[in-house]
Amino acid sequence: MKRKKTVITSRGAAAHAPRPRAPQPPRTPVVPSSILRLPGEKLRSAELADERAAARNARNAPAAAPAPATPLPPLAAVDLSVDLAPRRDGALVLRTPVMAAAGTFGYGVEYAELVDVERIGAICSKGTTLKGRTGNAPPRVTETASGMLNSIGLQNPGVEAVLERYAQTWAAWEVPVIVNVAGESVDDYVAVVRRLDGEPGIAGIELNISCPNVGKGGIQFALDADAAAQVTRAVRAATQLPLLVKLSPAAQDVRRIAQAVADAGADAIGATNTLPGMSIDRERRRPFLGNTYGGLSGPALKPVALRVVYEVAQVVEIPVVGIGGVASLDDVLDYLMAGASAVQVGSAVFADPLLPVRLADELEAWCRDQGMTSHRELVGAALPGRRDRPSMKGAEYRP
Amino acid sequence: MRLLTARLLDSREILPGQWLMRWEAPWLASTALPGQFVHVRMPEWAGMLLRRPYRLNTFDRIAGELTLHVRVAGRGSAWLTQLRPGESVEMLGPLGRGFEVDPRSRHLLLIAGGAGISGVRALADTAVAEGRQVTILFGAARASEVYPASLLPDEVEYLVATQDGSLGHHGDVTELVGTYEAWADQAFAAGPPGLLAALARIAAGRDARLGVARLGRKRGANPDPLGSPGARRKSWLQVALQQTMGCAVGACLGCVVTGVQGPQRVCREGPVFAAAEIDWEAAG
Repeated sequence: MKRKKTVITSRGAAAHAPRPRAPQPPRTPVVPSSILRLPGEKLRSAELADERAAARNARNAPAAAPAPATPLPPLAAVDLSVDLAPRRDGALVLRTPVMAAAGTFGYGVEYAELVDVERIGAICSKGTTLKGRTGNAPPRVTETASGMLNSIGLQNPGVEAVLERYAQTWAAWEVPVIVNVAGESVDDYVAVVRRLDGEPGIAGIELNISCPNVGKGGIQFALDADAAAQVTRAVRAATQLPLLVKLSPAAQDVRRIAQAVADAGADAIGATNTLPGMSIDRERRRPFLGNTYGGLSGPALKPVALRVVYEVAQVVEIPVVGIGGVASLDDVLDYLMAGASAVQVGSAVFADPLLPVRLADELEAWCRDQGMTSHRELVGAALPGRRDRPSMKGAEYRP
Repeated sequence: MRLLTARLLDSREILPGQWLMRWEAPWLASTALPGQFVHVRMPEWAGMLLRRPYRLNTFDRIAGELTLHVRVAGRGSAWLTQLRPGESVEMLGPLGRGFEVDPRSRHLLLIAGGAGISGVRALADTAVAEGRQVTILFGAARASEVYPASLLPDEVEYLVATQDGSLGHHGDVTELVGTYEAWADQAFAAGPPGLLAALARIAAGRDARLGVARLGRKRGANPDPLGSPGARRKSWLQVALQQTMGCAVGACLGCVVTGVQGPQRVCREGPVFAAAEIDWEAAG
């Protein structure tokens, strides 16, 4: 990879949301403004401006216009929207940066009875392959300390059946649905993406090159920069749809792979998929999962995925999506500050199906309390001024 | 299916390590069917990420109460059984498809192994209320683990088998089935996988042993497809299965069992299956 060394002053996030760097907004403590403000104290500027505007409107409005019965308090508008494919001109703009992660949210319809799915930023479908797959032998899930293992093995009915069953529903939804695509070979990926291209209801592609639970294909693409670049380039040539590439935390030097994927034309990078692990059935004295190994997800994975986001955000200009152990507002803020433009909620949805919607609401309230007009101000706030050292010695990376 | 809060009314240890917990949950109690289950949320601070599925042991539509029969098997059940009356948990339910009872069935045979009785217990109540005759065959390792007869409706016949012979029949509960297989119009079972597999073998040979003729089907009429309510009603044996579970709404495909027609989700196609739907070779 011959790449010009760039000075990383306004990295990653800057590509799609120019971040004014010079006048830093005053850092206020994480306390609601209502608590900070004394009874007689003046409103902060944003709220004040809103009030003035309201007063001006009231003066200019014709006298006949009735005043609202219960006037709502003026709220500073918080813009939570995020563009995950800035080079594609609004092709994948999410209303909130909290998405539903692939595999945990099915095809969206399963949760529709419980959750207002249209309030989620975006939904990633289950891994979809060219032909149907029956998946791995049960048992397939088990809980571990602060996490869980899964070895579903990409069970899905195949791209044709997925389109037939769900595309119409997705097209009617306002929430973008991103189809997670997996395959055994580059040709497989390309064939699935070709089939999805141009179908109504498909807002984007999430290239799953990091599934640890399948024999051929899967994670092997995400462990090698050349293979990752090859499959990304091939898929890029096959579609104009926004393209997310989901990386593995098991890669030796994830920065090299992220760089290769970005150069090959990915619109955004998802970090990360699950980490291979296992569990023992002590009673029967053998591995618990039918497939022996499974992918670790949940809060246990978060520090690892956060590190990957931090490393990736330093080397690529495209948006990064933080995935792994998002279960509370703190996790969302951590990922944003580490350089992610959006996050995906995965296994935490099993405990609380309403979590993606709630996190977006909490993020909005938090931003408002901080006097911020958008969460985008946070993106990359914790990144270093210049490129940080690699997380693992020996995994040296020279661009 | 709803997310709601259930308040614990009382909880007692009916057998060593097995608790009967009574909850106030009016909506759940009024909509539940025998064989369905609830997904109980675990405390986040304990690092328990997944909810735990529990079968509805009994439910009282009028009082708006339900009971869960919880065997302490891990951290989740240990936490749940330590709750005090007045405390609340979040439940998702009712989930899954319940038992399919043919309206014409007069004699129901319920077969349970150990704590698996929670899988068929609710059916005993509804069947008795509908005027059907119910016999429960119960198997356990020893007398101290036998489900107390006082917790069953008076109308049911209750037979016990213990492995060590300390109570009732000395041996496996499957050995009692032969006496009742001709009498029972339908059978329903819950318990360890080995017991269910043995019962499925018995059920598969039943028609041949009894010389049951399949009458009454018009020529050319389509038989009910495998897994449909009709096919389950016509199958002699239905089993309530358990599996480690993720979402419980059919999204994650984590709780599947191997069926003859591919993987079947316990949370959505189950937890009750006709015995013929399951690939017992792979399941065992």
